[in-house]
Amino acid sequence: MGRIQFLIRCMFRHKLRTTLTMLSLVTAFLLFVLLRSVAVVFETGWVSFDEVRLTTQSKYSMIEMLPLSHRDAILSINGVIDVTHASWFGGVFKEGETGDATFAIDPETYFDVYSDYTVDPDQLEEFKTTRTAALAPESLIEKYGWEIGQKIPVISPIFPNPEGGPFVFDLVGSYSSGNEGNNFLAFLFHYEYLRDTFAFGSVGWYTLTIDDPERADEISREIDQRFENSSDETRSMTESESFRQFVSQIGDISLMVTGILSAVFFTMILLTANTMVQGYRERIPELAVMKTLGFSDSSVSAYILAEALLMCCVSAAAGIGIGTLLVFSVQEYMPPMIPIYFDPVTCAWAGAIALGLGVLVGSAPAINANRLVIVDALHAH
Amino acid sequence: MSLVSLQSVSKTYTKGRERVDVLADLSLDIQRNDFVALMGPSGSGKTTVLNLIGGLDHPTLGEVVVDGESLRSFSPGKLARWRSQNIGFVFQFYNLLPALTAQRNVELPLLLTKLRGKERKNNALTALDIVGLADRSKHKPSQLSGGQQQRVAIARAIVADPSILVCDEPTGDLDRANAEEILDLLQTLNQKHEKTIVMVTHDPKAADHAKTTVYLDKGQLSVQEPASQGN
Repeated sequence: MGRIQFLIRCMFRHKLRTTLTMLSLVTAFLLFVLLRSVAVVFETGWVSFDEVRLTTQSKYSMIEMLPLSHRDAILSINGVIDVTHASWFGGVFKEGETGDATFAIDPETYFDVYSDYTVDPDQLEEFKTTRTAALAPESLIEKYGWEIGQKIPVISPIFPNPEGGPFVFDLVGSYSSGNEGNNFLAFLFHYEYLRDTFAFGSVGWYTLTIDDPERADEISREIDQRFENSSDETRSMTESESFRQFVSQIGDISLMVTGILSAVFFTMILLTANTMVQGYRERIPELAVMKTLGFSDSSVSAYILAEALLMCCVSAAAGIGIGTLLVFSVQEYMPPMIPIYFDPVTCAWAGAIALGLGVLVGSAPAINANRLVIVDALHAH
Repeated sequence: MSLVSLQSVSKTYTKGRERVDVLADLSLDIQRNDFVALMGPSGSGKTTVLNLIGGLDHPTLGEVVVDGESLRSFSPGKLARWRSQNIGFVFQFYNLLPALTAQRNVELPLLLTKLRGKERKNNALTALDIVGLADRSKHKPSQLSGGQQQRVAIARAIVADPSILVCDEPTGDLDRANAEEILDLLQTLNQKHEKTIVMVTHDPKAADHAKTTVYLDKGQLSVQEPASQGN
């Protein structure tokens, strides 16, 4: 029997209690990894977005539309290479579903700005020349089991069809993103179709490419200054920041996650500390015997602390492992509005929390074990 | 020179404002390879004497000298190391660790040595063999009888080959037959393995196994060497 084996034997003195405590800790760390993997997207933006793309939207609200005339003004700004626009349509493809991202876009410029998107040239050509054509991301085609050439009925709660019934588009092709992590891809159709149906000349937002990512802030400011004091003032930012703000409409996810995790770990501190204190109290005579046999005060308290650390770290490792596997497993199935992203920093934080938790819950019993007077402990028990 | 020497030892416990003088100016010498039974009424300070000899406690006044070394001069860490090398403890209620098997309980003191895992295991099995429990090495304390548990405790006490065994009522929790077996075992350890044994007991029959009986009452000691050695 080595020291580690002895430690494990002592830790599982009460198998059921230790196992249940460890399972609770595994669940807590699993929750930590999963929730942080969601929250990190809301805190740092969607890292897969191209850093040389900016978006320009209405200054006051994302749902306020901007005039089409802004396009040429933006394009004239030094450093702007290409400009395209898109409008949120809010398409529902299947009754009872909440809907998928559906954009009315400018087919002539959209794929110039999103040059990292891959689309078959013939399908793109057909898309550009057919007024009712649509392109869908491969994930959406797979989700609904569509086939190229199929007619796709779409209902929009924002733009109800004046003729009644759904809009019907011709699915002429599919596209995908060069960034594997980017699952925020929309069902695309002609802006002209939308404009002609509803007779308006405004768009949801502009997306533009710039020549130098270092100048993103400067160009954003210049665009916004250009439309200052006009009836359609703008707010420009990097695409990743824009996405972060967009998904933040759901609520302050980071704060919610922090709140939930704080409650979880506070409960874990109480639960684990309770296990450790109970274990310590039950083992006072055993600890006194260990000291009697020649274990020093510091080595006995080191055993107690090591036991707490081992319990927390093993549980954390299991929770992190399962959590990481889950993140990778569910990543591609997550809805675009709630993306999930594995961040190694999350694992580092979980490890640090495990160590902190171990020290926190093990310290009091370890200090008491250190102070344990053999004669008193043996006499009392 | 005696192996253990208590020199004008006094011990006073303080409980709040109350002071309890347990030992007062007590002197006792124990020779190497002696088997001393320490008897006396409850509260006479027998266990306190044992604790002082074993380095579990320090006297309020006086000196405890073991093998020429004053225990008072040891730091707590050195005292713990000294205990692991020189003293084997046997308690009335065995005090085995319930989560460990007999072999692992016996191995426990060897974790403080530089022995390798295999050597620790072999030494533990040898100690169990000496106490006649080699075939129970994989049993946990709850699977052993009281007498067997006390044998395991004795194996644990001797596994690091200490020169002194300190036994606090080792037969106090056992029936007569088991008590006799334990006392015979202690006697063997004293005679065959040359262990110096100090044993606290209330039982005169247990004391009969000792070479020397010391009576402690109200701080006064009287020593009696039995006319005949039981076995």
